[in-house]
Amino acid sequence: MIAYLIRRFLQVIPTLFVVSLILYGLLALKPGDPIDELRRGNPGFTQADYERLRKFYGLDKPWFVRYWRWLGRAVRGDFGTSRQFGRPAAQYIFRFRFPNTLLLSGVSLLFAFFIAVPTGVISALHQHSLLDYTVTVVNFIGVSIPIFWLGIMLIFIFAVVFRGFLPAGGLTTPGITGTWPAIADRIRHLILPVAALSSLQLAQWTRFMRSSMLDVIKLDYVITARAKGLNERRITYHHALRNAILPLITLIGLNVPLLFSGAILTETVFNWPGMGRAIFDAILVNDFNVAMVSLVFISLLVLSFTLFADIMYAIVDPRIRYD
Amino acid sequence: MVNRIFVLALGISLILAIAGWASPALNNLVIGATQEPSNLLPWEGAADTKENIMGIFNIGLTYFDSEGNLQPGLASEVPTEENGRLLVFRDAAGKVIRQEVLWTIRGDAFWSDGTPITSDDAVFTFEVQNTPELPVTTRAFSSLIEDVVKVDEKSFWIHYKTPNLFYANIGGSVGLARHYDIAPKHIWEPIYRQVMEQVAANPDKATEIIEGQFLGSPPATGTGTVVGSGVFKFEEWQINQFIRFSRRDDFFLDPPGPAENYLQEVTVRFIVAQPTLLSGIIAGEIEASDDIGLAGLDPAVLEAQLRDRGAVEVTPSGFIEKLNCNLFTQCAVAADLLLGDKRTRQAIIQAIDREDVATTVYPGAIVSNSFIIRGDVGFTDDLNPWPYDPEAAKALLADIGWADSDGDGWLERTTDDGREIEFAIHWVATTADFRIRTGEILQEFLADVGIKVEVENLPGSVVFSSEYINHGSECTFRGMFEYAEGGGIAQAPADPLSNELWANDLLEDPVDTTLENVPLPDNGFAGTNITGWVNEEFDQLRADALQEFSLEKRADIVKQMQVIYNEELPTVPLYERVETVTTATGLVNFTKGTAAARTQFWNPWEWGWEQNGAVAMR
Repeated sequence: MIAYLIRRFLQVIPTLFVVSLILYGLLALKPGDPIDELRRGNPGFTQADYERLRKFYGLDKPWFVRYWRWLGRAVRGDFGTSRQFGRPAAQYIFRFRFPNTLLLSGVSLLFAFFIAVPTGVISALHQHSLLDYTVTVVNFIGVSIPIFWLGIMLIFIFAVVFRGFLPAGGLTTPGITGTWPAIADRIRHLILPVAALSSLQLAQWTRFMRSSMLDVIKLDYVITARAKGLNERRITYHHALRNAILPLITLIGLNVPLLFSGAILTETVFNWPGMGRAIFDAILVNDFNVAMVSLVFISLLVLSFTLFADIMYAIVDPRIRYD
Repeated sequence: MVNRIFVLALGISLILAIAGWASPALNNLVIGATQEPSNLLPWEGAADTKENIMGIFNIGLTYFDSEGNLQPGLASEVPTEENGRLLVFRDAAGKVIRQEVLWTIRGDAFWSDGTPITSDDAVFTFEVQNTPELPVTTRAFSSLIEDVVKVDEKSFWIHYKTPNLFYANIGGSVGLARHYDIAPKHIWEPIYRQVMEQVAANPDKATEIIEGQFLGSPPATGTGTVVGSGVFKFEEWQINQFIRFSRRDDFFLDPPGPAENYLQEVTVRFIVAQPTLLSGIIAGEIEASDDIGLAGLDPAVLEAQLRDRGAVEVTPSGFIEKLNCNLFTQCAVAADLLLGDKRTRQAIIQAIDREDVATTVYPGAIVSNSFIIRGDVGFTDDLNPWPYDPEAAKALLADIGWADSDGDGWLERTTDDGREIEFAIHWVATTADFRIRTGEILQEFLADVGIKVEVENLPGSVVFSSEYINHGSECTFRGMFEYAEGGGIAQAPADPLSNELWANDLLEDPVDTTLENVPLPDNGFAGTNITGWVNEEFDQLRADALQEFSLEKRADIVKQMQVIYNEELPTVPLYERVETVTTATGLVNFTKGTAAARTQFWNPWEWGWEQNGAVAMR
């Protein structure tokens, strides 16, 4: 197992190198450069200004030269400066954006997990009951509704119709002071985006858990355990669930990186300053440094969580061993 | 189980209630904006939102009020020839060869930390602006300045080497990118000197040093001491969330009545999605919007949604939406369509019901026939209105050889070298909703006269990139490129701020035949005249206007320029865009008026709530 882990860790380095090269090349292919943003906002901007600024930012060099410079700095932990905000790109992402995404996505994930697992289990145990059918219908609705539409509807209902009951968006209310009011305020701001973001996962994972549970409870060892007189609760949660949850763990492990980058619609609708939106904006305004550090980080997350899922597999299922 | 549910519900209610009690205090204002400034650096200009933010805690030497009158701000008075503060020197031929302007800063002008604002600040601001290593956004105006010379603690001369008609306008004087005119020397000089020392010692690391320590300095990023010259002082900037200011009690411009009756705190919240911004406004979380966030929304619909909770103001934006035609002969596709023949453009404008377009896609917009906006210097209505007349359009197209020879409804013609060409014109614009709708409408109108429109909507970052917009001669856009340009805001058109129509700079010495402003391979695709239109008479009038300090005489010249433009139509003007701003009921003096004021942020010292005793002045 140790040897396996070391091999996997070592594979990360060349993988990240190739990924960063491809990402940088793709970003460079996109028409425009960061100076265009300055040009657009300034009627007095002249061609001389443009040439001067291009030279200053090194944009007059070929992309592969710029990539080599970027790589040289990145391996030393310097991911450059955000052209948009003037702060170190890594600091901008990991101090101002990543924690917000971690909070939103983490709470959504936990919320979805702790609702989906028991709901799926109960639904499976009461297959073809009214409860099961209700859960199924709700799940199909959850899978079908676009998140951005759901988000807008939630804002409309809870912020506009019930005016001010919950905030229309944002991370905090400006001017809040005090620890407990700030925590309460943050919770208020989290309610609607978490409800929107977790809706799809909740629906998917519930269906998955139900399906997986249905497969497992029909297996011989479960029937045997029941025949041997074990109580139903122990059979369900100690024996059946441990096997039924394996596919869901894999799914969650592979989905986690997506939560960090794919919440852009939720972040946009709820004005939640997270990583997904940061990546999208950075690409639009050609803020290469922010885009690169974010995308490389996402790539690292994908590699890490894939490994994590594999390790969890080995922990949950003693039959699985890595050499 | 029931007890647990009860406790949970109680806890949730308590959380919601506690958060509800933690609302902001009265006599403040929350403004919603869809864009966030990049930084607070005085030497870098960016989008309009930065101009707004900086205008809350800064004031320029002068400012335009809501009626378009230039007023003294930091300056004791606006320099003019009459008060002897503007000196213009001409040669024997009458050409302006030198210009000098004397400014005096008010005695009661202080930075928000109490430091007096002095002429040393102006001299320093110009020194930084002129530092070649620094990536200041533009030197369009500062490049006209020879030097800035201190006279005493409060007065300084600006000597211009070429005429600058906009010497007194915001951004036109000392030459900073936007509103701010003068930066605080006592804050920025230590940073600047240290950076320049390091750059001198490590020239190969100049970019890193400047990026990290100048552009990323605490006053620029809002993480350190930020001082301004305006009525509000900077308090905090939560990046990607909001920026907050509080009122200072030593500002030199007073509102009508006690200052405590007016806003004590202003917060600008950054909300990227327009629907979310709108929800916040209707829900009452946002009490006013900036001039950008609600672009394209129907004011009547907004009014209905707000009901008695707020008001909607529609003001001219200073931008004219137009179809920029590709007139480059080098682009064969455009040349085949005879876009270079003014009759083609005249046919296109008559084939479009521009009133219909304006009211449909941009409620409140006004049809334009000029490149100058209403109310600006030299604007004239005495132009050909080019009314909607598809029959006249068809007749013009027939005159130049187009005919529907195969009866399929589309016009064709045979070129000089015998090729059969169908009139299929490429139309490109950004992906903004109103432009997508415009493309659909233009397809219908132009189809009626036999012109097929090939619509293409691309992201703004693509179409406004220099690889695209400046390469019309290489057929990046092959027909019409729709976007909006500034229509000369209280500055004649013949000014650098509305500069997409001139080709050759006739003010240079010596004058050559190089078309400086037309992007071609010869000049490295530099310039803003993306249509490639060249008109010597227009260029001469522009040169004359740029040297005419008399507003009356300049207006006459500008009228002549409009007559040429209106006949030639290098760009097909559609409509003057408007801006829509909402204000909560009771908020007074948060208004723009004419386009000259640029935004609603020209007078923050007068903003207030009626219910707190603020007096409405307009």
